[in-house]
Amino acid sequence: MRLPAERVVVCSNGSADVNSAPGVRDAGRLRALSLPDFCAARAVLAVVLIVTLTAVVLSVARQNAVLGFWLDLARTALFLLWTGLGCAAALCLLRRPLAALPLAAAIVSALTAMLAVIALVSAGVLWLGGSSLLGARATNLLLPEKPWHFFAANLGIGVIVGALALRYFYVSGEWRRNVELQARSRIHALQARIRPHFLFNSMNTIAALTRSNPEKAEEAVEDLADLFRANLNEQRSSITLKEELEVARIYQRIEQLRLGERLHVIWDVTDLPMRAQVPGLLMQPLLENAIYHGIEPRPGGGIVTVSGALDGDTIGLTVRNPLPEAGGAAHSGNRIALDNIRERMELLYPGRSSVEASRVGDEYIVRLRFPHIEDPTRIPSL
Amino acid sequence: MNTLASTQRVLIVDDETPARERLRRLLDELGEVVIVGEAASGEAAVRLAGELKPDVLLLDVRMPGMSGLEAARHLALLPAAPAVVFTTAYDSYAIEAFEAQAIGYLLKPVRVEKLRAALQRAAQLAGAQLTSIARADPERPARTHVSARLGDTVRLIAIPGIYYFSADQKYTTVRHGGGSELIEDSLRALEVEFAAQFVRVHRNALVNISFLAAVERDAAGLHQVVLREIGERLAVSRRLAGELRERLRL
Repeated sequence: MRLPAERVVVCSNGSADVNSAPGVRDAGRLRALSLPDFCAARAVLAVVLIVTLTAVVLSVARQNAVLGFWLDLARTALFLLWTGLGCAAALCLLRRPLAALPLAAAIVSALTAMLAVIALVSAGVLWLGGSSLLGARATNLLLPEKPWHFFAANLGIGVIVGALALRYFYVSGEWRRNVELQARSRIHALQARIRPHFLFNSMNTIAALTRSNPEKAEEAVEDLADLFRANLNEQRSSITLKEELEVARIYQRIEQLRLGERLHVIWDVTDLPMRAQVPGLLMQPLLENAIYHGIEPRPGGGIVTVSGALDGDTIGLTVRNPLPEAGGAAHSGNRIALDNIRERMELLYPGRSSVEASRVGDEYIVRLRFPHIEDPTRIPSL
Repeated sequence: MNTLASTQRVLIVDDETPARERLRRLLDELGEVVIVGEAASGEAAVRLAGELKPDVLLLDVRMPGMSGLEAARHLALLPAAPAVVFTTAYDSYAIEAFEAQAIGYLLKPVRVEKLRAALQRAAQLAGAQLTSIARADPERPARTHVSARLGDTVRLIAIPGIYYFSADQKYTTVRHGGGSELIEDSLRALEVEFAAQFVRVHRNALVNISFLAAVERDAAGLHQVVLREIGERLAVSRRLAGELRERLRL
């Protein structure tokens, strides 16, 4: 399992669906600090247990000759329980605002909140010592001797332990998010497989061609086999852009037999680095969407434009198709394919890819951007 | 009930050339049927069915523009409505509806023996059946056309070209670019079906929003809408006048 490095990344994932107004809607998948729910009983119990065990460790290690083990344990546990539960309460209250903050701000705020709790509890202890509630200060061995030393030490420990805890929460949160993302993308990968509608229509076309034009039928069977091979490839490995574009072209050839003059595809991809590694089934689902949503519902058909360009280290791919004529409702399948591509790209290039869909005038445009990587070992396998 | 002995006249409807080609070949193999023609769209199917008077239509469900399901609804208006056998590659909703209504359908690629059986069983579809299967098409709730019976053919009127629907006691009139026709749909049903494009201005009138020019008051203080292009005026009920002004402002 590869964990993403800890850094602040503003992920540029955006999405829009066919039915939404022009423009791009944010998918809202920012990297955030994901804290456990400290309001839940389980978390509170865990805090109590950890705090108590820490108190035991500290008391054993200190071997306080004056107080003795049990008394030392009692006062340490008392102090740590107050700080531990106080921090849990603070994080519980701040959970919502923290989740809305960007990562760095969230970490600083959470840390500040915890330090404030520690300072407050320490001040409480010192106040108790100053008052006559527990008897004269000089004679009460339960209380710290040097107030400012006590204060500074607690805050110092608070910074270190708090930072470690937040780091742990961040890493485990990221790990969980990654697992979820992978699980979801697998499901979506299954859903995004070639549409049954396409399969049966292709079979019908081939059945028609077997007698009228056996050579074309043979080609169509070969193309269909290649397409299915690419689809059954589990989307596991990355392939070269050249191979991926070839799969999309095969798809186009099959559709062309069926749709004839109604389908025109313009390929403007000569400027692309053909050896770049890309996730499999990147272009074909987009072309399939464009034909299914844009060309098939139009009695006169239309033109799909596939264009690509290399911009520095970033590959940009664009697929445009005409919108179905007014009254023709958009099919619902569109989102699934886009979400699937978005999730797979996010897994392969965390925070460095984007998928945007928008309707501009009477066109529907999908734009992909992702880093140009030629070395297959630099692409993590799914 | 048709039998092959009477030599059925068949009209093939599919937007894809290879699909039509294959059906033609299968029908040739069957013999005993006459292919009266081919259509590549729902609109052409309705027109040709009126002209050529086939006994049976092999009607593709999914076509651009008017779908097969909609075409069948219009065909049902024909005085001697043909029997319909739907063909589909894969439409789970439609297939469910066909099963539920015991309507004949064929899955593509079609097998010749199934085609023979379907032609033998082919029956005319009743209006109620058609309305319920039309509802099984989740992607196209509204028709692209309304249809009027004209002698022994059906006249299709495209929705965008319609100015308004009006109703009296018994009939609904559709006023469109080419004149006006009587149709069988009720104003209430039309209002529901074309809610996105038409607005009720009065108990007896439903107006195409794109032809609404203005809301005015006549000398007697009654509200009226003025229609673009034809300049006709229609009475607006007091209750709907405000609502209509709102809508025009948007």
